[in-house]
Amino acid sequence: MSGDAAVTSVAIAGSGLAGWLAASLVARALPDLAITVTETPGPDRSLGVTTAAEILLPDDLLMLGEAGWNGPDLLRECRAGFLLGTALTGWRADGAAAFMPFGEIGAPLGPVPFHQLVSTQRRRGEAVNLANYSIGALAAQAGRFAPPPPGDETAHSALAFGLCVDTQRMAAMLREDALERGVQLTGALSDADLVIDASGPDSRFAGAREDWSAWFPFDRVASARRSSEAPPPPYVHCDAHAAGWQSFAPLADGVGELFVFASADAPGAPPAEPFAPGCEVAAWTDNVVRIAGAAAQHDPVSGLQLHIALADVLRLIALFPATRELAAEAAEYNRQWREQTDCAFDAALLRLARTGARGAVWDRLRASPLPERAGYRHDLYAANGRIVLHDGEVLDEAGWIAQFDALGVQPRKGDALADALPSERIAAHFAAIRQAMIAAVGRMPPYQALLAQAVA
Amino acid sequence: MEGRAVERVVIVGGGTAGWMTAAALAHRLQGLPISVTLVESEEIGTVGVGEATVPHIRFFNARLGIDEADFMRRTSATFKLGIEFRNWGRKGDSYIHPFGVFGEEIEGVPFHHLWARFARAGGRDPVEAFSLPVLAARMDRFAHPDPDPDSLLSTYSYAYQFDAGLYAAYLRAYAEARGVRRVEGRVVGAPLQGETGFVESVVLQDGRIIVGELFIDCSGFRGLLIEQALQAGYEDWSHWLPCDRAVAVPCRSDAPLSPYTRATALDAGWAWRIPLQHRVGNGHVYCSSHISDEAARDALLGQIEGEPIAEPRFLRFTTGRRHKQWDRNVVAIGLAAGFLEPLESTSIHLIQLAVGRLLDHFPDRDWDPFCAREYNRLMDLEYERVRDFLILHYHATERDDTPFWNQVRTMQVPDSLAHRLETFRKRGVVVNYRDGMFLDASWIAVYLGQRVIPETSDPRGEVLSDAGLMLRLASMRDEYAQMASQLPKQNAFLERIGAHVG
Amino acid sequence: MMGAGPIRKVVIAGGGTAGWMAAAALARLTGNGVTEVVLVESEEIGTVGVGEATIPPIRTFNAMLGIDENEFVAATQGSFKLGIEFAGWRREGEAYLHPFGAYGADIDGVKFHQVWLAMRAAGLPLPLDDFSLCTTAARLHRFQRPDGNPASPLSQLAYAFHFDAGLYAAFLRRHAEARGVVRQEGKIAEVRLDGESGFIRALALEDGRVIEGDLFIDCTGFRALLIGEALGSAYEDWSHWLPCDRAVAVPSTRTAPLLPYTRSTARRAGWQWRIPLQHRTGNGMVYCSRHISDDEAAATLLANLDGEATADPRPLRFTTGIRKEPWRKNCVALGLASGFMEPLESTSIHLIQIGISKLLALFPDASFPAHERDEYNRLTALQWAQIRDFLILHYKQTERAGEPFWEECAGMPIPESLARKMALFRAAGRLFRYEDELFTDASWTAVMIGQGLMPERHDPLADTLDPREVRDLAMRMADAFRRTARAMPTHADYIARHCAGRTM
Repeated sequence: MSGDAAVTSVAIAGSGLAGWLAASLVARALPDLAITVTETPGPDRSLGVTTAAEILLPDDLLMLGEAGWNGPDLLRECRAGFLLGTALTGWRADGAAAFMPFGEIGAPLGPVPFHQLVSTQRRRGEAVNLANYSIGALAAQAGRFAPPPPGDETAHSALAFGLCVDTQRMAAMLREDALERGVQLTGALSDADLVIDASGPDSRFAGAREDWSAWFPFDRVASARRSSEAPPPPYVHCDAHAAGWQSFAPLADGVGELFVFASADAPGAPPAEPFAPGCEVAAWTDNVVRIAGAAAQHDPVSGLQLHIALADVLRLIALFPATRELAAEAAEYNRQWREQTDCAFDAALLRLARTGARGAVWDRLRASPLPERAGYRHDLYAANGRIVLHDGEVLDEAGWIAQFDALGVQPRKGDALADALPSERIAAHFAAIRQAMIAAVGRMPPYQALLAQAVA
Repeated sequence: MEGRAVERVVIVGGGTAGWMTAAALAHRLQGLPISVTLVESEEIGTVGVGEATVPHIRFFNARLGIDEADFMRRTSATFKLGIEFRNWGRKGDSYIHPFGVFGEEIEGVPFHHLWARFARAGGRDPVEAFSLPVLAARMDRFAHPDPDPDSLLSTYSYAYQFDAGLYAAYLRAYAEARGVRRVEGRVVGAPLQGETGFVESVVLQDGRIIVGELFIDCSGFRGLLIEQALQAGYEDWSHWLPCDRAVAVPCRSDAPLSPYTRATALDAGWAWRIPLQHRVGNGHVYCSSHISDEAARDALLGQIEGEPIAEPRFLRFTTGRRHKQWDRNVVAIGLAAGFLEPLESTSIHLIQLAVGRLLDHFPDRDWDPFCAREYNRLMDLEYERVRDFLILHYHATERDDTPFWNQVRTMQVPDSLAHRLETFRKRGVVVNYRDGMFLDASWIAVYLGQRVIPETSDPRGEVLSDAGLMLRLASMRDEYAQMASQLPKQNAFLERIGAHVG
Repeated sequence: MMGAGPIRKVVIAGGGTAGWMAAAALARLTGNGVTEVVLVESEEIGTVGVGEATIPPIRTFNAMLGIDENEFVAATQGSFKLGIEFAGWRREGEAYLHPFGAYGADIDGVKFHQVWLAMRAAGLPLPLDDFSLCTTAARLHRFQRPDGNPASPLSQLAYAFHFDAGLYAAFLRRHAEARGVVRQEGKIAEVRLDGESGFIRALALEDGRVIEGDLFIDCTGFRALLIGEALGSAYEDWSHWLPCDRAVAVPSTRTAPLLPYTRSTARRAGWQWRIPLQHRTGNGMVYCSRHISDDEAAATLLANLDGEATADPRPLRFTTGIRKEPWRKNCVALGLASGFMEPLESTSIHLIQIGISKLLALFPDASFPAHERDEYNRLTALQWAQIRDFLILHYKQTERAGEPFWEECAGMPIPESLARKMALFRAAGRLFRYEDELFTDASWTAVMIGQGLMPERHDPLADTLDPREVRDLAMRMADAFRRTARAMPTHADYIARHCAGRTM
């Protein structure tokens, strides 16, 4: 050992979802630590914005499972609804609705990726809806759902699902767990070896900041929770309007609504919470590591706030300081966090800046040139359907393809060798995929029945 | 496809680069109206330093439908479990960088953190005691990995050591049988189209002209097309990897076939030993500003194990890469694209990678600039990452016995490598990329082998006492040693699977 | 003069820890309604109070008195002690911990430390520390009392206390006075002896009062007014074995974390103690005046405090040794009046305790039979010699180089009893516990191994055990101790929850 003492105490600033997520997971991973959480009054902005509902991606469920939080517990405790993807209305130039499913879409034909086969057929004049080859999208459409069986041989195996959780309920669940594990609630921030700042954008530890308002015009957010008689469908519905967008996220017994707009374009709108997109220059300085909304305030259109909070906490655990001389851990944490921040920036910007939505704010977004890194991603896809993958991606390749495609970005070219495949061969391949998927969906129970069973 | 397709591919140069490209194209483009022509001259010797490989080659062969035993017999191949590095951290050191991980996670903590703690607490077993492929390699034993994920024998992979000339010939037969046309001749010119600056054709010494749309430059260091015709330019990395020459000589050996390559650090470079079934390939990669050609040759001859069976052959090179590996309608593959010394057997892999990427980004005659641009972005990253991994071997040394070692030990390294070294040294964390040919296990093998031992470990390991850790490692070590000693000797295994050269 | 019948009056001369421990223990005598116990002390005379760390037998003493442990720890601003860390005793820059309790458990009748030696010989250099629950908890700064469940690894935990000796004396005084002991304020001017027998008849105080008695307990400290000055009991000097002859003590502010162990740090010509209490830290330097001056010793001490000094350093002089007859005629000496050994292994209070318990076990009647007195003196001499040998071991087995004091210690001749023990251990790790000696195998092992005295061979019986089974057992032991220790609260939290000190 270098002679420096171990880190034995952690003070978490902020008692919102991000703070309790950190408390619970850190207490589980490192039960020796003395952990305190200080309350922050007022609405929970720890993830960057106040929301009624948050999204857990399929990978997030895996990570939480490894940390000891299994699906059924989350479903029940957080009044969660299943998520198979996001339905979009009002985003495309052709006015059509679209669906961005989780998980892989279709299947390759030999070495040719599915989406390139689709591109080939479309350029031949065939209309192909990508979502028709996603078992998740098909299940959502049919109002059916069942988790995939173990193994990865069947059409059903490709189904990937997330959860939509009630923000407050999840925070309460994590709080209870943390307190049970000896985390102490305190009034004032105590002296500790390590401070985790989970207090959101109003953090007192805020340092030098990058402002993204030049790229993201949306600066007002309002959220609400509405009850509903029957459970809403297994997907988020995101609807673009003239000055912004609104989303409806499905909980077991209600809907989490989010209204986001640009104040400049909606002068008559009722007052809403101000939102300033941007990020800290560095997440971890000295012995303070800012996580989630205290480190970066991403535009909520990607719905990745909880995913990012979870990623931040897991990264901190993996890089937990071995001693109080924590410069090496902080440097590597910052490097990874920066990569994630850049990739999440790109995902959100491309989700907003190159769409067919109608309205002045959308016109301005379309007219503005993109910054270099995001611009290259877009231009490459628009040229030949290829996806750039950097190290800190928040979307995987399938996710990027689903996003571009749903928003109506059509590549000019595809895979030249795929273009040499006969149309009949590709069509037969498509048909076989669809047939297997539809059969699998037919065997699934109705979504509502499954949800009722799960929360019983 | 509507009339914009590339119909003629011309590969300039044979050798491993040319024939791997030809074979892969032949396989992939089967049934399509695309002709592939390869122009090579038997006059021009091929370099053939790239005789050891990495496991990815097995997927290349498998995709082409090549039978392992047949290929091994025809190329006099042996199995490869890793590379032994001698004298790199300190003179007298020896470690093996295997194709496989060390140990296993305990209580959710990666093994290398626990081994580092064990070493700091006085544990005496080296990390290689916890690697089945290393233990097997040191005993000259080998068997195929077991597909059952619960078996210890599923935790490693393997590659080959083969005669590159024979491999090229093997692939030539494969490619020609699938329609690739071979033209014997020496390319002396590549005229460019006036407006676009694209290559129209290649002109041979005897006057013949070979026309094409897509040209693949496998002409070696010269880069007949990419450099001489298109002047793509070269990014020179000699300040980080100063070796610029090699001398190679094969020799006889009676030793049992060892399933690993050896790289022995010498005074101003290093010597390779690649054991094939019919001979041992040796070479000395060196820095000409620190040692003369004669001294380098003598140093090599002084340490080979048997009679030389040919005259020593000298090579000159500059470590680096083309500024653009794909420019206009020319894609450089192999030595024409760049050079990184074969310290980690990367040459053939970089060819394989290039061929795969080319097929992924196969152009049409619209020559969308994004094909080349993305291809170059990805290949540049790959070359840089391999470069950094190689620099690590030189820089993470305690040697100070010659000016060469002083130079590499004290040189300024790329920032990303400096960050990696610091992060591992301080905290045992492996900084790695999403993609890249070297996984965490490879970085760990070289760090620990070259005495970069983490000063602190993952705090989650504190759930174990030092005694509890030592006792667990003792059991693990015994289990691994026992399994390794049960594997057959490589000589016997080659015979058993019919891969033995009669 | 020898009368007949029971002792009617016990007079304890001097207060402090010795006097009030005696008073508290002897208070029971007043239960017959006849016997009186009187303690004479003067507030003018300060008490020495270096003996602030203890060993586990004190818990038996407290239990015998019916004292509630939490109340006692709170009242004395005390903390818990799992052992002593010896820093720099073997070599500068190294430290080892001598814990309470045992190492591991015997396997098939083979002593654990032999099994440990055998594993080392087989290439497994396991740290011995991982087989002591006390060491494991100490290093993690944790503490928890056993819960009474004999199956739990926690039952292996043995502990003692650090406390403010002055507050302990005050605590025992309250206890004693509540049970019938009478305190007389006064300074002793004269000890009156009986003309014929030479027995002590009475103590004449400066204010003229005369305190008569049958049995006198001399707790007057180094001055030994009764046993030494009045009765002339000679002092056996042990300075040739334990050459330190001075100490300087200073309290300092409490620092975090609150350690559950005493620390002894070797210095140039002696050693420094650190005793963590709730309200302050007790520090001191024990040194040999031939090798370092008083000023230098005090300066070294002050320069090596981890908190702020809260008083001026207080000097002490002493001669290590023992009263040849701690019980002479009708006077029994306890505490400093009976002898002195430096507090290297926290034995000062223990020696008072065993003096008291032996006295109770051999309690005389007014005829003061010689055989009881002789037995008392014989046992006392034996127990003191055993402890002395253990202390000498720490000095003799040093590898410190370049310092005249330590080189002298390394080269000094040692008692034959100690030499025999060391030779036996060095040969094949053998240990025997003779005649109820205080220090267990575990203690001798801890210090011998800690000071670098490694056996050349081990018990051949250890080699007859199945190595795989042994490794399994050892792993489970180490895991269990680790797990148990990590589940304990921190020492500071435990005290805050159960026995936080109150200002009196």
